[in-house]
Amino acid sequence: MHGIDWVDVGLSVLKIAIVLGAMLNVTPIMVWVERRGSALIQDRPGPNRVGPFGLFQSFADAFKFILKEDMLPAKANKILYTIAPMFGLIPALTTIAVVPWGRPFTLPGGRLFEPIIANVNIGILLIFALASMGVYGIVMAGWASANKYSLFGGIRASAQMISYELSLTLAAVSVLLAAGSLSLTDVVWRQTGSFVLFNVIKLPAWNIFSPAMWMAFIVFFVSGFAETNRMPFDFAEADAELVAGYHTEYSSMKFALFFMSEYMAMATMSALVTTLFLGGWDIPWYTEPATWVGFALSVLSFVTKVSIILFIFVWVRWTIPRLKYDLLMKLGWKVFLPMAVVNIVIVALFIARGWL
Amino acid sequence: MIPTHWFLILSAILFTIGVCGVLTRKNGITIFMCIELMVNAVNLTFVAYARQFHQLHGLIFVFFVMAIAAAEAAVGLAIFISLFHHRHTIDVDEANLMRW
Amino acid sequence: MITFAVFFFFAAIAVIFAATVVLHRNPVVGALSLVASFFALAVMYVLLEAPFLAALQVIVYAGAIMVLFLFVIMLLNLQHQEEPRTRPVQQFLGYTSSAAFGLALIYYLAKFGVTQLPDGPFVSDARTVGIRMFEAYIFPFEMVSILLLAAIVGALLLSARTGATGVAPLSAGTTTENLAAPHDAAPRIEVAP
Repeated sequence: MHGIDWVDVGLSVLKIAIVLGAMLNVTPIMVWVERRGSALIQDRPGPNRVGPFGLFQSFADAFKFILKEDMLPAKANKILYTIAPMFGLIPALTTIAVVPWGRPFTLPGGRLFEPIIANVNIGILLIFALASMGVYGIVMAGWASANKYSLFGGIRASAQMISYELSLTLAAVSVLLAAGSLSLTDVVWRQTGSFVLFNVIKLPAWNIFSPAMWMAFIVFFVSGFAETNRMPFDFAEADAELVAGYHTEYSSMKFALFFMSEYMAMATMSALVTTLFLGGWDIPWYTEPATWVGFALSVLSFVTKVSIILFIFVWVRWTIPRLKYDLLMKLGWKVFLPMAVVNIVIVALFIARGWL
Repeated sequence: MIPTHWFLILSAILFTIGVCGVLTRKNGITIFMCIELMVNAVNLTFVAYARQFHQLHGLIFVFFVMAIAAAEAAVGLAIFISLFHHRHTIDVDEANLMRW
Repeated sequence: MITFAVFFFFAAIAVIFAATVVLHRNPVVGALSLVASFFALAVMYVLLEAPFLAALQVIVYAGAIMVLFLFVIMLLNLQHQEEPRTRPVQQFLGYTSSAAFGLALIYYLAKFGVTQLPDGPFVSDARTVGIRMFEAYIFPFEMVSILLLAAIVGALLLSARTGATGVAPLSAGTTTENLAAPHDAAPRIEVAP
């Protein structure tokens, strides 16, 4: 064992602080965006009393959550009921660690600053491993509440998650095949630069514009909605059918934790879509300099892309009605799964012909 | 570096717990979970020996074991669903039609 | 030294939760404990320098197989079924024989097992494993894929009841009435229309 590199430790702590701070602040901001956005779509004012444009409404809500009584249903399994909200939060917070959020640049001391918390060489596998643990929070909550609607939410969530995880993973396999690496840093580096499509238009070399991978993008994006339990696929809570699904019995901060994990999972999914298909931190038609200026610009680009995807999440929620459950299963198994598999074959063909 | 036989002993303990569950429990799905536990104990042995002898064969066998465990889980759980529909229980003692 | 601490911590977790699977009467708690045990085993794979396999362990076992188990347990609403007690003599024989078996296994492992440390690091990243798999093991690989296909067909055939095919829809309108509430006595659920 050699001495500990304190500068390295300090940089790691800094990166964790930045990412964790951003992730924790996603929830209040997104709640505000969601409520104002839904008001915009439904042509009503929305929350506008607390602070300018109702910006502080989320903080008022947070105080309300803290002050509410923490209820425990009489027949609930106490231990599982308590740890379920935490289990919901862990995957949402940990998966973001392997996503690169800016262009690396050299610090004054000659040290390379990589804006990623953990640059592991199995990055995408780690993401899927941790994301697959996310279903346990919902299933535990649904079962431990001893409520039939909650149980239904849990059952539906488990069936839905294992169905859509397949399409999600297989769609990501296309990207990894093209990048030739499991590391998300390599995936992003491969998408920098640009290419000329049909000798007509110069496009950034993002995977979404690639003729081989736009299909994977559709599969991944829609499956992402299912994985995060967002509106067209929110069968785990389906408020019209199951009261509030798996969190019917929850109150106070435990409910707030579910609320937070939903928005954090959305943010993580947006970051993943951005990294895998929208070029990550790459700025289109522009080569960032390898200095702190390029770093700042690339972080700005990454945040902009993630925000756009997050807004699409909100937009879709207030536009598209919920599917029927059998339609959801049909869509997952009979449409998206074959599409993802066909796309892998297409990408393999492109690689074999040397077009990628 | 942790010695290989520690992993082997851990694997032996887990395997024994699985055997104990299969012998003493009556709930079909719990028995099934104990079998999965035994399979995992064997996987750990495979990986431990793979590292010991620097051979990838052990790792590749673990892949196959995982695939077969998945197939086994799918078919086994389907059998239990079918049993439940016919007998309204998954107590393995109740499934005695073929017993002599 | 920290690797030893990690080893003992996660070994203890694996053993304790595995014992919970055997000893706890409730299958849902058993399934969740088994997930924890599998997760600890994934950490063991990381210690054994096979991080790729550790990720697969979590994805396949914890993420897919155990979710399937939980789904079936909750679908059949088994958590309120009283599991009959095993006869005392059977229980005694089961515990003693498995304990004897375990002790013998550990004794011989400690006596004849490999005790020298492996020399040098072990390379087991996705690339090397994949190349080896598709060179030397391509035939078993194809056989396993056929086995999986057969398992899919078999599972579908077994779980589909007469008239219904595949997964029955879980729409609330048809099933909520029949789903036994926790205080209900009737454990039966109708899932097929």
